[in-house]
Amino acid sequence: MEPSFDFLIKDEKVFSGALSCRGCGWSLLVRHLASILGEETVYVLPASCFSIISGPYPLNDLKGTIVHTVFAAAPATATGVRAALDRRGREDVPVVVLAGDGSTFDIGLQSMSGAASRGENILYIVNNNGAYMNTGIQTSTATPYGAVTTTNPGAKGFKKTWPKDLMGIIAAHNLPYAATCSLAHLDDFRAKIEKALSIKGFRLLMIDGPCPPGHKTDPADSIQIARLAVETKLFPLMEIEHFDYKINYRPEKFVPVEECMKMQGRFKNVFKPGNEEVLKDIQAHTDNHWKRLEALAAMSEN
Amino acid sequence: MENQIKESKTSTVRGFPRHTKKIMKGNFAASEAAQLCRVDFVPAYPITPQTTIIESIADKVAKGDMDANYVNMDSEHSVFAAAMGAALGGSRVFTATAGQGLFYSHELLHAIAHFRLPVVACNVGRPSIPWNIWSDQTDSLAQRDTGWVHYYGESSQEVLDTIIQSYILAETLDLPVMVVLDAFYQSHTSENIWIPDADLVDEFLPSKKLKGNEIDPGKPKDFGGLVPPEHYGKFNTEYWDDVLKVEDLSEKIARRFESHFGRKYSNVEAVNINKNTKIVLVTISSITTTARGVIKKYPDVGLLKLRLFKPFPKKAVIEALKDLPEDAIIANVERNFLGDNEGAIMQEMQRALYGTNYKMHDFYAGVGGKDVPPETIEKIIFMARNNPDYVNWV
Repeated sequence: MEPSFDFLIKDEKVFSGALSCRGCGWSLLVRHLASILGEETVYVLPASCFSIISGPYPLNDLKGTIVHTVFAAAPATATGVRAALDRRGREDVPVVVLAGDGSTFDIGLQSMSGAASRGENILYIVNNNGAYMNTGIQTSTATPYGAVTTTNPGAKGFKKTWPKDLMGIIAAHNLPYAATCSLAHLDDFRAKIEKALSIKGFRLLMIDGPCPPGHKTDPADSIQIARLAVETKLFPLMEIEHFDYKINYRPEKFVPVEECMKMQGRFKNVFKPGNEEVLKDIQAHTDNHWKRLEALAAMSEN
Repeated sequence: MENQIKESKTSTVRGFPRHTKKIMKGNFAASEAAQLCRVDFVPAYPITPQTTIIESIADKVAKGDMDANYVNMDSEHSVFAAAMGAALGGSRVFTATAGQGLFYSHELLHAIAHFRLPVVACNVGRPSIPWNIWSDQTDSLAQRDTGWVHYYGESSQEVLDTIIQSYILAETLDLPVMVVLDAFYQSHTSENIWIPDADLVDEFLPSKKLKGNEIDPGKPKDFGGLVPPEHYGKFNTEYWDDVLKVEDLSEKIARRFESHFGRKYSNVEAVNINKNTKIVLVTISSITTTARGVIKKYPDVGLLKLRLFKPFPKKAVIEALKDLPEDAIIANVERNFLGDNEGAIMQEMQRALYGTNYKMHDFYAGVGGKDVPPETIEKIIFMARNNPDYVNWV
């Protein structure tokens, strides 16, 4: 068979040799993002894995401007950058926050909510890998029920609270555009980036972030697990425009959550004898969440 | 808002040509200064007793008197984060805060300073928990090691004039500057203030020019990425080199300000310090004015006012005390408590005068906004004469 050169990324804006772990979602995510955004883009980075991946001084992994800022206030820093660029007549330059779930769900939630409420003309990207991975796998409020982390540790331990519904929170801000994306659905991801760029105001894309060291997975399985997260409805692909929900992908057949979870060592304790009810709860929670989304989507159509 | 600023009928003949005399509260003098400095970006969050600064700026922007982006942020932490972003983008930035707001922004104060950004901020001093909104310098003095230049204004005129001077200093050395005024005694007290005409300020402080170290989308750079140990020191030594320039440059800017506007300022001011002086009161902010009045009755008491506090104007302090006999007593008046035996002023004075034989004593007076009337200053003088303790609570 002839090899295909019809790559999605035509113009690479990320240098090779990035410091991400094997199978990490950050590099793939940013490669697609940057290839669409172009070099005249300002990326604002709170503390996250990507603070490291983007390269230590004096390197810059990205063909683009990077502003590193404090953990809790990237959207506020981006607000200032946006204002300064607008003042200089550079409304055309995208200002993009690249954040993890720790800064988005936890320490920087207020700052994000503030920028969203003000309608700042910022594209907010959250790579949700479900824990504080850069500091070594500590529980965040994005960590799934059932996951083992270094702060929910033990031979039998796991997180026993549900992750925050960030998309629900962001929808409550009445934003022009918010969407979830998967690295297993690159055409969908790229279309959502394009769509986000066509809209002015605060826009948010949440990407399901594979993390082999944190999820205890084989780096080669990253995309397969991301695909299963969508198929099992653990990570639904959706768009929210103001209060209108749209489900972008409906799995053809039922795939139980175990199919995705069993490939990830972080859920190993849930599969130990005695936790059958926990797995059932996670399935029920996932089904209920989907039902709710379908209801919201149906309501939006009317 | 209108009735807060009453334009005086007094002509501008006496004193300062190309000025208008107004009766104005300190907070309004600060916002007037921001307008005169033609700042581009004002991120804001309310906190007593600073609030009327940002309110009056919001008002000026709404009326079109001020061409700036005024943004209501979600916290002081976000205020200073936005200030940082805008300054990185090349904007001239101003904001104001107080007490808890300044404490909350501590992380960003370091970041702004170490990004070498010329932000100017006003702080209206008040302490922390238990709740207190009155005059106290613990908040700003607790930030003295963040890398910001600190000025303390004796009067609201001085606050206005110092903000104008601060932008020159900040933009010359790429350092942030904090101008501190006293809660209520200045912030909410009306004074006669000479407001310079806009074009007079424009001649002194031109609009901000880009230096090339700001964000330039056409020339991608990385700001603030991980710096390994072998390189980190370089940034600090470059910073240190510029910190050492502050004292002289600040004095030079004050001289230029004097010849342009007609009002004289210096990093420190010595009043009645000579070979016959037995006691020197060391003060910052509005307590200085009270002390000025009191020492007229005491020919052997002098006054050392500190206007620049950080970096500490060591050379100027030594020069001011050059004729002071070595058996004189230096009485530091502290409106701050930093969790140590000595207050901030005594700590810095001891550092500056290391190796001399002056007897130094500390007098905590007026913390939490307690009034410091002339009687309190007289009490400090009396205590200083009569074998005081090393540290005294007045």
